Amino acid sequence: MYHPPETQVTPLTTVRRERMLPVPGTMQVRIGDRVEPTQVVARANVPGDFYILPAARTLGIAASRLKRHMRVKPGERVQRDQVIARRGRIFAHTVKSPTDGMVALVGGGRVLIEANPTPLDLRAYIYGTVSNVLPPYGVVIETPGAVIQGAWGAGGESIGVLKCLVTGPDEPLEAQMIDPSCNGTILVGGIGLGDAPLERAQQLQVRGIVVGSLSPELISRTKELPFPIIVTEGLGEIPMSRPIFRLLTTNAGREASISGRVQTRWGIVRPEIVIPLPAETVPPAKTDPGMPLEVGSRVRLVRAPHIGTAGTVVALPGHARRIQTGAVVYGAEVDLGQEAPVFVPLANLEVLR
Amino acid sequence: MVEEQHIGSILLADCGTVMTKAVLLEQVSGRYRFVAYGEAPTTVEYPWSDMSAGIRHAVEQMSQFTGRRFLDASGDIIFPQVSMQQGVDAFAATVSASQPLQVVLGGVVRELSVASAERAAAGTYSTVKAILTSDGQGYLNEEARVRVIHKAKPDVICIAGGVEAGAVSPVLNLVETAKLACLLMDEGVRPKLLYAGNSRLRQQVVKIVGKQAELRVADNVRPTRSEEDLLSTQAALDKVYVQDKMGRLPGIDVVSGWSAVTPTPTARAISRLVEYLWHLGNHTHGVLGVDVGAANTTVVATFDGQPFTTICADLGITFGGERLIQTQGAETITRWLPEPMSAGEAHGALINKAIHPTSVPQEPGESWLDQALAREAIRTALTIARPGWRPGVAQPYAHLLPLCDTIVVSGGVLAHAPRPGHAALTILDALEPIGVSTLVLDTYGLVPALGNVAAIKPLAAVEALDGGALVNLATVVAPVGRARSGETVLKVHVTYDDGSNFSVEAGYGDLEVLPLPPGQQAVLELRPTRNFDVGLGGPGKAGKRRVSGGLAGLIIDARGRPLRLPGSDQERQRQIQQWLWDVGG
Repeated sequence: MYHPPETQVTPLTTVRRERMLPVPGTMQVRIGDRVEPTQVVARANVPGDFYILPAARTLGIAASRLKRHMRVKPGERVQRDQVIARRGRIFAHTVKSPTDGMVALVGGGRVLIEANPTPLDLRAYIYGTVSNVLPPYGVVIETPGAVIQGAWGAGGESIGVLKCLVTGPDEPLEAQMIDPSCNGTILVGGIGLGDAPLERAQQLQVRGIVVGSLSPELISRTKELPFPIIVTEGLGEIPMSRPIFRLLTTNAGREASISGRVQTRWGIVRPEIVIPLPAETVPPAKTDPGMPLEVGSRVRLVRAPHIGTAGTVVALPGHARRIQTGAVVYGAEVDLGQEAPVFVPLANLEVLR
Repeated sequence: MVEEQHIGSILLADCGTVMTKAVLLEQVSGRYRFVAYGEAPTTVEYPWSDMSAGIRHAVEQMSQFTGRRFLDASGDIIFPQVSMQQGVDAFAATVSASQPLQVVLGGVVRELSVASAERAAAGTYSTVKAILTSDGQGYLNEEARVRVIHKAKPDVICIAGGVEAGAVSPVLNLVETAKLACLLMDEGVRPKLLYAGNSRLRQQVVKIVGKQAELRVADNVRPTRSEEDLLSTQAALDKVYVQDKMGRLPGIDVVSGWSAVTPTPTARAISRLVEYLWHLGNHTHGVLGVDVGAANTTVVATFDGQPFTTICADLGITFGGERLIQTQGAETITRWLPEPMSAGEAHGALINKAIHPTSVPQEPGESWLDQALAREAIRTALTIARPGWRPGVAQPYAHLLPLCDTIVVSGGVLAHAPRPGHAALTILDALEPIGVSTLVLDTYGLVPALGNVAAIKPLAAVEALDGGALVNLATVVAPVGRARSGETVLKVHVTYDDGSNFSVEAGYGDLEVLPLPPGQQAVLELRPTRNFDVGLGGPGKAGKRRVSGGLAGLIIDARGRPLRLPGSDQERQRQIQQWLWDVGG
């Protein structure tokens, strides 16, 4: 019995997303409220920067004498350029606050100033209904919809109408395909993405790009883009797997929320596309993790030579077999729609659900 | 008198970052043997978020192979063993799946106290996020130092510095800075402060820190300019790791409940086994252990009975390639490939591996990339480990690896290498052993389990080792010296146990593989030329050694030490390909 990793490629489910503040804050919505992606659902003040001023040295006094030269006390608010310590009257030596903030500490000849906190607005990210409020940190939003998890991504969150520019999952997204009608949309491409289409997409202010793969040389470039990028298969020249391409093209013209955030360890975060859908009866969100691999499981293949393809498990041989590298591994026979099923190491399969 | 509980079967699990292994040791005909093995993806991350699930999956796999039930209806392990078809008598786990400890180090002199603190930190699963020093280029003003600490978000700030009765104010300034940084953090995320500097300043340190941070004190990690004392600092960091990182893994409470002993960090178990092997074998030289995992590379060594552990956290086959490329450049890895691969291709392949961590190479090119990464991970770990070793007489050449009689190699990339020769060549290129060494391969990932069981039931470890739990990969003879390419440097006469024999001459630059399969032994008569040393007492010294066979046979590695790769890409790739062919790849 093997429990493979899973990737969500779900046409309709209950999408549930926790929206959490990094620090305690106040909730701006209540259970049952309908929210839009840009709506603020929670608000907080994030601690500001700090400054350590060597005040005693600046004033030319011993550290122990600083307190008597202070013009403000710990806990008091100060403004930028306000004199906070002073020695002498006519040709005075002064220490000024470098920022608006508060004197947090005076000691050891130094003054610690904390800048005013920065307000942070947490937005809903998806259309939906607030199903839970978790004060003082966040809320849970639910919506019926489609979900696709990507493999790699860059950038933050965005919303826009899905616009498919290619006719097949193995067609590259070219610069000339991107015209002014792409403004404000999320572009869907097939295999690969080059520098020219990225440039063009930026010029026309698209809201995001979803592609099968991306050249590794463009990784640093994607981190500077004003919109997120979602790569569904991996780095290199890999076509988008057909189930993902089909689900995206089926929903072309619908508004989607996308996130390019990725974290491969210690609290895995995967890039995703969420497409809210009108639906009366919705399958509940799947809560039981990891079903074992079975004959009939819908799988995606994650290593060359079959990376980017998807199929169905037709057999689970009981004996290990030798693969091209010479290693002997347990595997599954997968029907990829070719003449004969292919033998794939179990480790190189991902269940699509 | 309490009767010792009979332990006829022991189930051992090792929760790695990517894969969880389960192993069954059982008494067969009165002796402990390794009888079954199962492996499944680790489940500490979403959607499982429960490490016990991965153990159950691996155990279920063993059930499939053995027909024996290990789990009850609720998924708990059945204790004790009630028949050959059900249950086990004991369970123990090793763990390396948790996030490494994030550490900021502070010290007075980069090459002295800070270097020692760095080596102490490498004794546990930790990542050094930043280093603050009071000397040279690393000097920062207080505000900049506090910013560095803030950005690093450490779990521990370890302050070293000041030999005994040495520096005072630079050390106390660092403590002040650390306290200030703690003060600026919310209480819930404040790092612990570990003081491992000049012991005469302890009281002042306690006074400075006050109640602003949780302070722990260790022995001075660098009591004199020429001495270092890592044990106390290592133990203190290890304790924090076990409490704050391992102890917070989801599901660890369930796993702890199955066992009479608390889960052990994997590296500690590996170190224990290597130390154990050193004592068992009555070694005059060292015993070395290398484990290349998905996220960590561990090098452990025992010389004169003293163990040394070095863990390079975040430097493994799955999670480590990107970091290596960033710090050392892609060419460091691609230079070990027999075919051209651009830096971009290598970068992409390594990221894809991290995206799909459980996956395995299906094409030779990807397999070679994994092995290339393993070479560099081990070499990197070795550069950190070696300055901390005290090999004594086992170190005839300061710039080379000390003499090691046994080298235990572990980790999926080596255990599942397409051919045994690939694993052997990876180790030879990475470690560059000298003299005569036996390479022992941990085919089933048993090393942590055996190290763990050595603490619970030493007899079980000894008997399982005797029973062939680990397999000999190869015996390697590596002469040290310089000569012209092709010039004879070593004459070897091999006499098998059945009396058959033959002689070979190894030329400088050769990599010869001679037949000596597992289970067979032979006597080697080694006659190095005047300027070459095979570890038999110095250059030109000849002698006889009885050696054991291995999966890759008997390897004469006369490529020279240190190993030099051809400069041109084409020539180097041709050379690497030749070596792969030489070892049967």
